[in-house]
Amino acid sequence: MSRRPTSSLAACVWIPLFPLRCEEARHEGLAGFPTALLAPDTTRKLWQVSSQARHTGVKPGMTVSQAIGICPTLRLIEPDPVHYDEQFAILLSALTEVSPVIEAGELGLVYVGVDGLQGIYGSAEKIVQALRQAVRPSDRQTVRLGWGVGKFTAWVAASRARPSEAVVVPLGHERDFLASQPIAVLPLDADLHRRLRRLGIRTLGMLATLPEAAITAQFGTSGKRIWQLAAGRVIEPVQGRVEPESIAAALEFFSPVGERELIVHALEQLIARALKHPRRIGWRVHALRVRAELEGGGSWLTAHLLKEPTADAGRIIAPLKIRLEQSPPTGAVARLVLEFTGFAPGTTELQLFARDAQAAARAGQQRALRSAAREIRLRVKRAALYHIIEVQPWSRLPERRYALIDFEP
Amino acid sequence: MVAPARAPLRPDRLRAVNAPREVAVQVDEFGLPMTAGLPDGPTARIESVNETWRIDDEWWRQMISRQYFEVMMEGGKRVVLFQDLINGKWFAQLP
Repeated sequence: MSRRPTSSLAACVWIPLFPLRCEEARHEGLAGFPTALLAPDTTRKLWQVSSQARHTGVKPGMTVSQAIGICPTLRLIEPDPVHYDEQFAILLSALTEVSPVIEAGELGLVYVGVDGLQGIYGSAEKIVQALRQAVRPSDRQTVRLGWGVGKFTAWVAASRARPSEAVVVPLGHERDFLASQPIAVLPLDADLHRRLRRLGIRTLGMLATLPEAAITAQFGTSGKRIWQLAAGRVIEPVQGRVEPESIAAALEFFSPVGERELIVHALEQLIARALKHPRRIGWRVHALRVRAELEGGGSWLTAHLLKEPTADAGRIIAPLKIRLEQSPPTGAVARLVLEFTGFAPGTTELQLFARDAQAAARAGQQRALRSAAREIRLRVKRAALYHIIEVQPWSRLPERRYALIDFEP
Repeated sequence: MVAPARAPLRPDRLRAVNAPREVAVQVDEFGLPMTAGLPDGPTARIESVNETWRIDDEWWRQMISRQYFEVMMEGGKRVVLFQDLINGKWFAQLP
């Protein structure tokens, strides 16, 4: 199995409000109005709000009725997560042209591994310039870029940068740079943020001066992590992804099939089967190939590079249907093989919203459960979570029917 | 028995669920429970005995013999009590 490429020197490319920017890019003139995107899960609330709308007092999380009450000219937009993901995939592909080590964060946030790129581009400024050029023209005025050792420093630098500008943290100056930053740059939930502020901790420097053990005892694992980030003790490298090997699904017909409808139906089944393959989760299909072994020894082959990577069965089969219509196999098909041969990375955010929702939800639940179990064990110093297992469910003695066993995620 | 994924099953790590808890019970002249001091509360009067049944089991190794009573406590709480007929002690157990 190939190892994931990594890079400790990182650049962060951040396009704030990426979904809103996607809408502005496809609806000309929208940028001049106060706009808000509705939440993908509940259309009664706002998800992202443009700066014009924010100036009128509209905030994310507000209900539509509240927002319209405050800003009657507000333009509401139905979310289109699939489109945002496709745009994000285009951004990832474009950045891959600059560096092969790309790690997708949330929509609009990408970490780029820049170890060794100086040999190709020259200075950090020139690499930053190349990254900016990779962003679509409509986003070049809003993109913020950060540069530093480790993803966290690069992210903080990007969050400090002005729109269309970059902040480069020179090697060896990470701790000085981080010390003056507000705690808001840390990956904190609202509760932890509030608790830190109540303790009078305003900057990463103030947090780093406290003993690590005290922060861990007070805030658990997340406390330990934020302390290490604030003190510059942990460098999280950019972790690139290795494309999965091709995924194949095959179907052998009992008797060779010549009807186009039956072949299309078989292809639909093969696509559905290949999409369910575990290696495919988190990736969209970019290239595919279909082979047909014909009755009597001939064969038929068609290969397609999809215009936009997708995990949607309907979009994958569309070019195959056209090919079948224009130049179908010359004989009856005895065996059909579908292969996904090229992939483009997906985003976790899309998986939560759209096509991989169930798989991502399952994975998310497992992750959350593992993290909660670790947290409890760290705090109470013993296993406090158990599985209930059946022992003798048929027993007439109630205490013999079930037992508890330590939960080890 | 089906072991959950990832958790290696070892008998020493099993904990019983719904183990009987010893309780203090007063009985009337017919041997029916009148009051019970449950582990999580003070001694309370038993309003009624709804059902009773007997379990005799495992006579081939160590005999288990229990007389169960499903009772309604004062205040409406439903409790299952049993008397161990081997040693005479009373226990409470979830229904």
